[in-house]
Formats: sequence, structure tokens, C-alpha cells
Amino acid sequence: MRRLLGGVTLAGLVAGLVMGFGIAPREATQGNVQRIMYLHVPSVWVAYLAFGVVLVASVVYLIRRSDAADQLAHASAEVGVLFTGLTIATGSIWGKPTWGTWWTWDARLTSVSILFVMYLGYLLLRGMIEDRERGARFAAVLGIVAAFNVPLVHFSVYWWRTLHQPPSLMKPGPGTMPAIIIAALLVNFAAFTLLYAYFVTRRARVLGLEAEAEA
Amino acid sequence: MADNWSFVIAAYGLAAVVLVAYWRFLVRREKELDDASVVRREMRQETGRPEPQAGASRSPSP
Repeated sequence: MRRLLGGVTLAGLVAGLVMGFGIAPREATQGNVQRIMYLHVPSVWVAYLAFGVVLVASVVYLIRRSDAADQLAHASAEVGVLFTGLTIATGSIWGKPTWGTWWTWDARLTSVSILFVMYLGYLLLRGMIEDRERGARFAAVLGIVAAFNVPLVHFSVYWWRTLHQPPSLMKPGPGTMPAIIIAALLVNFAAFTLLYAYFVTRRARVLGLEAEAEA
Repeated sequence: MADNWSFVIAAYGLAAVVLVAYWRFLVRREKELDDASVVRREMRQETGRPEPQAGASRSPSP
């Protein structure tokens, strides 16, 4: 099953690259550098998804004290941090040629950095507390609190004056992008979602084996 | 506007390196733990001790 998920994920990523570089046209204003969008936007989508899963799994853990929910929250937070880091790095690389700067303390960039640091703290907290049950309980509370930062990140471009553009897809009202660009973006969304599922499945299994080894 | 292909290559290259490194970390760690699990199981069978449950060391705390 996991091999199948891995194979489908790889095929999805290849399809995403073909759509992003072969099918989607060169953007008129930014030129080919806009193709970073097919990596940057799906990365932040995976980060949102991952932290949403942390929220749900943490609530389930606090109610049922289920090891599986704890492992899912831990795995999802780690993958979420990975993709948030990628979002920040690829955004910075995209920002230099389009905005003329690698970094600016804009509302979107600042809020996503806070999100990154909060979940990095979540992972550090888990590593610092020796009593596994206590660490899981504290992490679950932090996982729930930190998830409230996700809407703040997403809507920051509406709530404050920012350099960052408004959301490309996840926004109210009709889209303004050509259908072919939306299609390329959606294929990459699907591929990155599969990659998230693949990574979380593997990481949760590793966490299960680690718990077994400690028992 | 110039195409800035070097920035596109940098972004995709960085993502590829990070994602492949994380995948390799997961594969290696899983293999290590699987191997250790087999050794533990064999040792338990030799000594005749029962298999512990995962998470059995967890005790509820106030």
C-alpha cells in the first residue's frame, strides 16, 4: 500500500513538473520566474493541511489519549515545518527578482515566519520532555493553539497592507487566472497532497517503531 | 521582464534536495528500527519473554 502511494506520488510530482514547465504558458508580466508559483503555493497548502491535521489529531489525543493520534500529530507537525520552511525559502527566491528584495517584514512573511517558529517550538518541546505522555499532552495543547495562526497567515494579505499578492486560489469570488495556469496549479496541489500523505505515513510508522523500541 | 531562470532552478533545486534528504532520512530510520525490532524479537524468543505492547511504558500523569 505504501509502495503504491509512493509510486502515485512520484507520478503526480512528474505530472506537476510537466504541467508547470511544459503545458502552462510563460507569464506575461513576470516571465518564467512565475513558475516558482507551482512549487511555492502547493507548499503552503501542504503546510496549512499539515497544521490542520495537527489540530484535529491533538484534540483527539486530549480526549482519547490515543497513541496513534499523538503520532499522527507529531508526524504531521514535522512535515508541516518542512513545507513551511520550503514556502519561506522559495518565496524569498521568488521575491528577489519580482520585489527586488530577498526579505521584507511584510504581514504575510512575518506571520508565516511566526507559524514556522511556533511549530519548530512544538517539535523542540516534544524532544525536551522525557516523560512521553507529558510531552504529548503539552505538545497537543501547543498544536491546538498554534493552529489558530493559520487563518491569520492566510488572511493577513486582506487585513493589513502588504507587498505580498492576495491568494491565487483559496479566496472568495471568481478566479482571475487563466484556466491552464489553474489546471497546472491544481495538479501540483494534488501531487503535494499525496507527498504529504506519503511522508506522514512513513514518519508515523517510524514514530510507532520508536515507541515500540522504548517499551 | 527577464526570465530569471537561475532563480527558478535555485527554487526547484533547493526543494528537490530538501525533499529527497527528508525521504532518505525516513527510509534509513525505518530500516534501522525494523532491523533492531527483528533482533529484539529473536532475543525475546530465545529467552522466552513475552512481547511488550507499544506505548506500554506510558503511565498517566496528573
